[in-house]
Amino acid sequence: MEKNILTSPVTGDSCIHVKHKSGLDIYICEMPGFSSVEALFGTKYGSVNTMFRMRDDKDYTTVPEGIAHFLEHKLFENEDCDVFELYAKTGACGNAFTSFDKTCYLFSCSKNYQESLKILLDFVQKPYFTKESVDKEQGIIGQEIKMTNDNPEWRVFFNMLRCMYHNHPVKIDIAGTVESIAEIDADLLYKCYYTFYNLNNMVLSVAGNITADEVLAICDECLKPCEDKGLESVFPDEPETIVQSEIYEKQEVGTPIFHIGYKCRPASGEERLRKSMAASVASSLLTDASSEMFRRLLIEGTINSSFGSEVFVGDGFFSVIFSGESADPEKVRDSLCEEVDRIVREGISEKDFQRIRKSAYGLMVRDLNNVESVANLMINAHMEGVSPYDAVNVLSEMKCSDVYEFIRSELCRDRQVLSVIEGTDK
Amino acid sequence: MNCSRKEIAANVGFSTIIDPKFKTASLTLRFITKLDSRTAAPNSLGVGTLSASNSRLTTLARLNERLSSLYGAALSTFTRKRGDVQILGLTASWITRRYAFDGENVDSEMLAIIRDCLFAPNVKDGEFDAESFAITKKDLLDRIDSELNNKRGYALSRAAEIAFRGEPAEFSCYGTKEAAAAVTSAEAYEAYKELIRTSRIEIFYIAPEENPEAEEMLRSCISELDRQPQDCVFRSKSPVREKVEEVSDKFDVLQCKMVMNFKSDSDDMAAMKLFSTIFGETPVSKLFMNVREKLSLCYYCACRTVASKGALMVDIGVEYANIDKARDEILRQLDEIRNGNITDEELQSAMMSLDNALTQIGDTPSSYSGWYFERLCDGKMVTPMEQLEIYKNVTKERIIEAAGTLTLDSVYLMLSKEADK
Repeated sequence: MEKNILTSPVTGDSCIHVKHKSGLDIYICEMPGFSSVEALFGTKYGSVNTMFRMRDDKDYTTVPEGIAHFLEHKLFENEDCDVFELYAKTGACGNAFTSFDKTCYLFSCSKNYQESLKILLDFVQKPYFTKESVDKEQGIIGQEIKMTNDNPEWRVFFNMLRCMYHNHPVKIDIAGTVESIAEIDADLLYKCYYTFYNLNNMVLSVAGNITADEVLAICDECLKPCEDKGLESVFPDEPETIVQSEIYEKQEVGTPIFHIGYKCRPASGEERLRKSMAASVASSLLTDASSEMFRRLLIEGTINSSFGSEVFVGDGFFSVIFSGESADPEKVRDSLCEEVDRIVREGISEKDFQRIRKSAYGLMVRDLNNVESVANLMINAHMEGVSPYDAVNVLSEMKCSDVYEFIRSELCRDRQVLSVIEGTDK
Repeated sequence: MNCSRKEIAANVGFSTIIDPKFKTASLTLRFITKLDSRTAAPNSLGVGTLSASNSRLTTLARLNERLSSLYGAALSTFTRKRGDVQILGLTASWITRRYAFDGENVDSEMLAIIRDCLFAPNVKDGEFDAESFAITKKDLLDRIDSELNNKRGYALSRAAEIAFRGEPAEFSCYGTKEAAAAVTSAEAYEAYKELIRTSRIEIFYIAPEENPEAEEMLRSCISELDRQPQDCVFRSKSPVREKVEEVSDKFDVLQCKMVMNFKSDSDDMAAMKLFSTIFGETPVSKLFMNVREKLSLCYYCACRTVASKGALMVDIGVEYANIDKARDEILRQLDEIRNGNITDEELQSAMMSLDNALTQIGDTPSSYSGWYFERLCDGKMVTPMEQLEIYKNVTKERIIEAAGTLTLDSVYLMLSKEADK
């Protein structure tokens, strides 16, 4: 078992990466002075992995929407008890989440981390599903789905994705629908579990008040070696075009909200990281409070300070999203298009680029100030196929022309979607 | 970690927390004043406008340009409610000089910006700069409107409005939309001047190393003020109604929300916190295990204490058809505790959960600031570990007694259209 020490050349922070004999990738960051521990045990399995097969399978298996999230809920039940009851004995605060391309089980604690880590590694490797427990969960998740459907931020985002993607499963709701989860049974859960919860497809990230030796000793004790069965997730072909350019929905909201998304060409590995960083700097330049567009829209009352941006990236999808509250979202969209055109025409000021880059660097340093952020940084980097400190290096090597090229080639009007949630009285 | 507090002027506390593990420095200044429906909106706008510009960086664009060139330093203002008290303030954080690759003195630059925002705001002829004020006002009006966008938060606010009717805590910390819309730039500036003159002020500076510059700057600026501070009451128990009041609103939503307000005359806050933890604050609490896990009625059902008002709120997102069933089960679980049905495991896990939360305080600058500020409001300066000892001395009997003091006061229901069927 080889320990690789990964160090950030800029901040001097470091962590350890181990490829464990069981097949699991392990990242450990000892953080002296901190009291807490954050551990995440994750699998590269999210809502987009709806079609897959193993090396020896002849055919692909297609599963109902929302099954990765359903599985996350059910893994918390052991044969003899609920996992929360085990954490209650150590004091750890346990949780889990399912996103588009990963499921993570986590805990944070300040005492007894070794016992909590054993619980985490043990229950994630020990599935137990029955008809009764699956039936019981339908009601709970049904309520979760209704709750998120009442959330306008959720609706505006998924409406945008549905307008953006023809075929890619990123457009489906992470929790599925009340109808799709009704198709889930214990056998399907086992099928998905044994496909995706193979340690070769998983990663453990632990940060905070720990020692690497202690963490690795627990891993040696608890991890069951797995054979790499050659998992293959497939995604349907996705054209570069969008489905439709606008979508409106009425909901109980006090202020109308909008998402303006640009569908960009997907990338993977280090290329994805470089492209994401360029996209992040580009979107910061466009929404920066010192930009002329932002100032004009703010002063005339078209937007408020909630206006912002994010880069949304994963396997087979990549988009840049501008969001906020506005009674006139079409005007925000048009202004954004004009600003993109202006930048393409006039270029980016080197001074502004350097300032935004400096700001991005500051945010990265801040993330290293926090146990939870560090644990998430390590797991996210691994899932994206890069090293935890690569982003700092990519940022330091980035040129103004990289950002210009991203804006010119990716922020195109014909790949732009406007999604709006307006009040029911409009 | 070193923590110290000194009074640098009448009713102005300056707390310094030095912890070498941090890569950032932060400064938070809080104004503490009585929550009043007449002053809530002007106060909020007065403090809010401070982060839109200052006399040196005269537009939001210039201020933000400077902040981003200081490695993305953050500066913002806030308004919140704590019982009958309105807390407003300005907070800033930045990476320290050690991580600035061009050797820039970020600390001094940020302290100067904070100084200008607080003590040299962008004011001309007795009113805030029109552009900065307009941006802040639009933000506040939208914030008031957008409260409905978060259904769970909206239901909790409406429930507080009902539970504390006739008391300052009834009001939103932002004031009403009508009140906010009517405030002029001059009135907002007057409100700010009054706040800085009369409110209690608590400042927290949290950094990896000492920097006397922060205290000197604030001491010098505050010494020039004509301070006439007024006291605030941080805890006033809300009277319980003779008959439970139920209020409902109908909305075009899929899921109903219910908030049950309980009130208590108990002063045993440690026992009440343990009760609340066992009752509904963790995934092994009685509410989670029974209302969610056993009966599958909801995705969330939880409780929180409002110690400043002697209240406890239980909230749940639930189908219309299951509202009564959920209410019965919540009351049944309360009765279980009142009847002494608390297992040793439940008590131990509640204690472990509190221990875990308390031990983690100090891992982020905001947790330090939040903890010690709350203790100042409580009038009892204890460390997280001292608080843990207080919890450890709570017996099962005291928890049962605390549960016994809770009376259902009011219920708020956000109903879906199913209610019409």
